[in-house]
Amino acid sequence: MSSELIGLNDIDLLADTDEESKDKADVIDYKMVTFSLGGKDYGIDIMKVKEISKASKFTYVPNSIPFVKGVYNLRGDIISVIDLRLMFNLPVPENKTAVENMIILRLEDNTIGVIVDTIDKVVGINSEKIQPPHPLFGDINIKFIKGIVENKEKLYIILDVESIFDQKSAENAIQQKSYSREAMPLAEQAAEKKPESEGGVDYSFIVETLAAFSHFTVSPVNDGWVRNRFNSWSKQRTENGLNAQLQSAAEAGEFLNSFGSPYSGHFWEEDYSTAVSEIIPDVDGGTYSAWDIGCGKGEEAYSTAVCLKKKFSSKKIKLYANDSDLLNISTAPNLIFSRNSIPAMYDDWVTEGSNGWHFISDIKDLILFEYHDVTHDNQLAPVDLIVARDFLSYLSVNDQQKLIEIFYDKLKPGGILIAGSNEVVVGSGWEALNKGRVPAYKKI
Amino acid sequence: MRVEYINPFVEAAFNILKEVVDSDIKRGELYLKSTSQPVLGVAAIVGLAGDVEGRVLFDMSEVTALAIAGQMNGEELSSFDDLAKATITELANMITAQAVTKLHELGFTFDLTPPAIFTGENMEITDAGVEALIVPIELSQGRMEINVAVRER
Repeated sequence: MSSELIGLNDIDLLADTDEESKDKADVIDYKMVTFSLGGKDYGIDIMKVKEISKASKFTYVPNSIPFVKGVYNLRGDIISVIDLRLMFNLPVPENKTAVENMIILRLEDNTIGVIVDTIDKVVGINSEKIQPPHPLFGDINIKFIKGIVENKEKLYIILDVESIFDQKSAENAIQQKSYSREAMPLAEQAAEKKPESEGGVDYSFIVETLAAFSHFTVSPVNDGWVRNRFNSWSKQRTENGLNAQLQSAAEAGEFLNSFGSPYSGHFWEEDYSTAVSEIIPDVDGGTYSAWDIGCGKGEEAYSTAVCLKKKFSSKKIKLYANDSDLLNISTAPNLIFSRNSIPAMYDDWVTEGSNGWHFISDIKDLILFEYHDVTHDNQLAPVDLIVARDFLSYLSVNDQQKLIEIFYDKLKPGGILIAGSNEVVVGSGWEALNKGRVPAYKKI
Repeated sequence: MRVEYINPFVEAAFNILKEVVDSDIKRGELYLKSTSQPVLGVAAIVGLAGDVEGRVLFDMSEVTALAIAGQMNGEELSSFDDLAKATITELANMITAQAVTKLHELGFTFDLTPPAIFTGENMEITDAGVEALIVPIELSQGRMEINVAVRER
């Protein structure tokens, strides 16, 4: 009842509206089909549900994304079937019967089947009781959640199925999200921070020569370090009677020689490995996945794998290691090294072969080395940890910004990004966890 | 792309082409591509399924294709007819099959689809979400690009 009406009528009517609003909370105007996924309760608007059924023997479709189970013949109509648990990276319980519970959804432009753990019942609620999802909501990306509602002391997460399966709106959602999160793009930030005081021209010359000789891009990611280094560098060069400007690739290398993170290109010593291990939070579940970008010949990937193996001895660990240098990455799966180049902490994990020392298969099997350029698309499922040390600084400013966005998207909530020792990850949505030499960032 | 997959494809292409087409062949620098890629004129495609999914594309101009088919048949071909198409298809089959055999020995199991051949002008190919490894090969008949796009399942 509108307020205008109340204004026109007498007091009696006003009393009526009070009662009406009380009743309102009990009026059922929204029904949803409830089901469980990974032990939590979810709901889908019943208007979107065509039917529910038990089904098995889906026809596998080659070249489809992992969560697409295949196609299914529903009384003559061929529908695609999606496993919601795989889609949202939830554990899939073992199913001995191979018969799956399937909800058939009728969406605007197609019909689709989704597989869930168990289908519960139909629950009627009042749509006003639906509350917006909290940003910290765990397992499922917030843009797919319509809201959350309580019914009979159970909390149901209502999924917005149109946005999950509608490609266009999903893309829009991603774009909108990135706009709002990144209020000021890196490129603008970089432009704003034009060097002024400290030897203006010399500094911008250094920035240009670093890019030319070493493909090193000065940006907010490393600006702080480069400025400090420039001050000490020009002081040192002036004392030695030399020009502060960089004349060759060798000099650019010398300028950057203290930029690298500890044990770059070598196996991590115990102190660093322990520091990394301490910064990684414990996670629930039986698996732990990590992504190592720019793994080079593989030392970093093996160091990370051993560090994770020690920390999560009972979990299943999966490490994806990428590099876009074909020669380096080609040697990584069968990396051979000499006995004295490897610190004692790795003793349990290495063995001597006919060509030299290498890691045992317990460690090798954890790592999947891929020849991959990270500025391209990939289908990696969200991971718990990203290791990208001294990597961002060697990309263009635009790629740096793009990569930070990709890292954010590819990390699970609460996941950790380890950057180079002298790099700063800019952008909101990250919480810096600075513990000594390991600059780590947590996705919030 | 998984590192272990790269070499078998490069070696197989090199071996087969050297054997059946031209003994004087050169391999170009390998690189990765992820955007839509133009196809030169004749493209033979072989699908892969099993531990991985994806496809291998053999891409060349029609002139090159004709010269290669002619060389393999030991006669001069004047038009890109059924014989020429069948020959290029077979070449694609031989190379992919040898690569898959090598991979099988390393413990990866794949299945192949029968090759299909596309001809036409101004074609391009797009693989959503998979980057392709390009193996350029220089033959005396012309340039051939082997374009491998596979990903783990």
